[in-house]
Amino acid sequence: MVMDFPAVRALDGVSVSFEPGEVHGIVGENGAGKSTLMRILAGLQLPTSGEIWHGDDSMRLVELHGVRDALKLGIAMIHQELNLVDPLTVAENVWLGREPRSTGLIRKGRMRELTESYLDQVGARFGPDDTVGSLSLAQKQLVEIAKALSQEASILIMDEPTSVLSEQETASLFALIERLKERGVSVAYISHRLAEVEQVCDRVTVLRDGKLIAMLERGMASQSEMAALMVGRELGDMFPAKREVAESPPALRALEVSDGERVFGASLEVRPHEVVGLAGLIGSGRTEFAEILVGVRPLASGRIERQGAPVRIGSAKQAARHRVAYVSEDRKDTGLVLAMDTIENITLANLRSYARPLIDRGSEREAAGQWVRRLDIRVGDLRAPTLYLSGGNQQKVSVAKWLELEPKVLILDEPTRGVDVGAKREMYGLIQELASSGMACIVISSELPELLGLCHRVLVMRHGRIVGELAGDEMTEEAIMVLAAGVEAA
Amino acid sequence: MKRGWRGLLADYGVLVALVLLFAINVFTRGESFLQAENLRNLVSQNAYVGIIAVGMTFVIMTAGIDLSVGSMLAFCGAVAVLVLNRQDAGGAAAGTAVLFAVLASMAVGAASGFANGVAIAFGRVAPFIVTLAGLAAFRSLALVLGKGGEIRSQVSEFQDFGFGGVPLPFLTNQAGQPIVLYWSLLIFLGVALLASFLLNRTPFGRYMIAVGANERAARYSAIDTKTIKLWTYTFLGALVGLAAVLNAARMNSVGTGSVGLYYELDAIAAVVIGGTSLRGGKGRIWGTVVGVILLTLIANMMTAYRIDTNWQGLVRGAVILIAVLLQRGSKEND
Repeated sequence: MVMDFPAVRALDGVSVSFEPGEVHGIVGENGAGKSTLMRILAGLQLPTSGEIWHGDDSMRLVELHGVRDALKLGIAMIHQELNLVDPLTVAENVWLGREPRSTGLIRKGRMRELTESYLDQVGARFGPDDTVGSLSLAQKQLVEIAKALSQEASILIMDEPTSVLSEQETASLFALIERLKERGVSVAYISHRLAEVEQVCDRVTVLRDGKLIAMLERGMASQSEMAALMVGRELGDMFPAKREVAESPPALRALEVSDGERVFGASLEVRPHEVVGLAGLIGSGRTEFAEILVGVRPLASGRIERQGAPVRIGSAKQAARHRVAYVSEDRKDTGLVLAMDTIENITLANLRSYARPLIDRGSEREAAGQWVRRLDIRVGDLRAPTLYLSGGNQQKVSVAKWLELEPKVLILDEPTRGVDVGAKREMYGLIQELASSGMACIVISSELPELLGLCHRVLVMRHGRIVGELAGDEMTEEAIMVLAAGVEAA
Repeated sequence: MKRGWRGLLADYGVLVALVLLFAINVFTRGESFLQAENLRNLVSQNAYVGIIAVGMTFVIMTAGIDLSVGSMLAFCGAVAVLVLNRQDAGGAAAGTAVLFAVLASMAVGAASGFANGVAIAFGRVAPFIVTLAGLAAFRSLALVLGKGGEIRSQVSEFQDFGFGGVPLPFLTNQAGQPIVLYWSLLIFLGVALLASFLLNRTPFGRYMIAVGANERAARYSAIDTKTIKLWTYTFLGALVGLAAVLNAARMNSVGTGSVGLYYELDAIAAVVIGGTSLRGGKGRIWGTVVGVILLTLIANMMTAYRIDTNWQGLVRGAVILIAVLLQRGSKEND
């Protein structure tokens, strides 16, 4: 089966084909047109011009006016934000809106049976009667895939499927994709993680500014090649060289910190000029540990010290007073007030210094303008809601908000999640620059190369505890994974 | 961002509606409608509700609600008249007595709002529930104070205060007396100006928007969200106290069982018609002021056209629904 659609607007004359049993990677920076392309395929958006052809032996011109049309042709999308109803069971979710019925009543037994067989196919280790709300993100993703299979999907669109998965879970997802391929299912694979694309995709389409830049066959699609094509220029080294950290007392120190729920006796210290990494699988308590340090999660036991003196940090406000800032991983929920504009977001945590006692709008705008220039935030209108900014630019606004406070300790949680290659590199440069200016930085990340490239030391967490610390030559992806997953090295 | 005329209508529809209704009145009623006295009444008739609605705007902006304001008004009014009479009995000058009544009423209102706010922000009970409880409790307190009936003021100057104000120069009514801008009217406008100022020019205002739009993000952004919420209820309470004493002065008494009934509905309606979002994060004081005047104008028209008062509720209901539907028009892609 093949699909073509020349000349779409956010997309400009892009043609792509999906062969049976193929994993086709779609890569590009944010705004390159990946999402538009996928939305058209999933029936969520109509192309302004162009054609879609579909068929097994003989090809036929088709029109996709909605998700239903797409599903009829066997095209199903696994969304980045999973579309499941938490309080319902797995079986109920899989069959939502199309439950097997007889004489108007739902046939629960049949539904359960069918679900079981699909769960089997995706290698799930949970049952049809489990509530979706009780599942992990990785498991929920399996439910979505099972649902797609139950709709007899032959083309699966996966939008950043690994962004919420740990390395282990990613590996099992790839194994599943491999099995699906053997059954003739084709997968459209969108990801920012070029290493994964290189590993899993048979062909890779590179988009830039809505145009098709290249179509690479497996073997040709190396990470550096893809990255260069995406940004349209050669990327130098992603990571600037690390600077030596001089001996000095720690800027922030946590001693045996617990919240009694997710974090148990975790300790950490970070010195000025130093970048400390915090690694661990999803759910290992990294974010929760950081949240305790900045007071948005209660401290049940343990101690926090700033420059050697014990401090009480019971709220983000108190943390700000001690110049400890936290750039959260979740821009939508905790990072930004999306309904507010760029200026208001940037000054939000530091508004008092613009109020004398009335807010001085002029100097507020000026300060925001400076951050926009310094961090190269691409924003059309400073007064437009940040809702309309791309992920990378939202992330920069979120960082600017905290730098505005001139923090001494900066904690960055997944600073490059959902951010394109160019913006990633800028973020790395910024972190290095901040550290060399004397800031103490803590970086939480699921991307191991990022931790290795940025950090002087990496602490690894598992089940809410710090299980190891790596520095210098011991700092390798393998060593981190061994600690994070809790398996003994062979 | 698509705006276009639909967006404009959503933003300024309430103003357009007011102008339209105003024009209709001018064309059909001409002279009698345009008389200065009638226009003054239009704004001052609902000044009590207006003062409350200004405070309610803050509460609703932070994604809260206060259903207890009507009962609270009765409670504050009862306290005000009791304090007034006691001062009078103690031999205080009339002016002093009135001043004490005003202060007592506002203090009791602020304390009542504070109690609501503590239960909501720190007790983490839903605002709807807390203030529903308040709706029952404050009325009961008022009835206890009034022994189930009316409390009459013993101070005649109290009513002079209710009908007093600033006379307009050059303008007189048909009887040749100067037209007075009542204190209640001036205070309503003053409170609206103050609130507008707080909302647009102070950190408190910005924080309210942040708390209403995304409470978690606000908390992570070093904002003391609980205190912000507590303040909005306290501020509203103080304004209810102010409205209560003005209302009592006008009547020279407080009917503890009947005063303030349905004020919560009128105030919430005015806020919503004015374009403040019930989901929080968006609010505007001028919209609320226009909303109050619009509701009064509609009531005024129905009286002028001799429409059976029993129909008034239906018309108000329809106006509220239409206003909200129009404002939603441009937000579908939220």
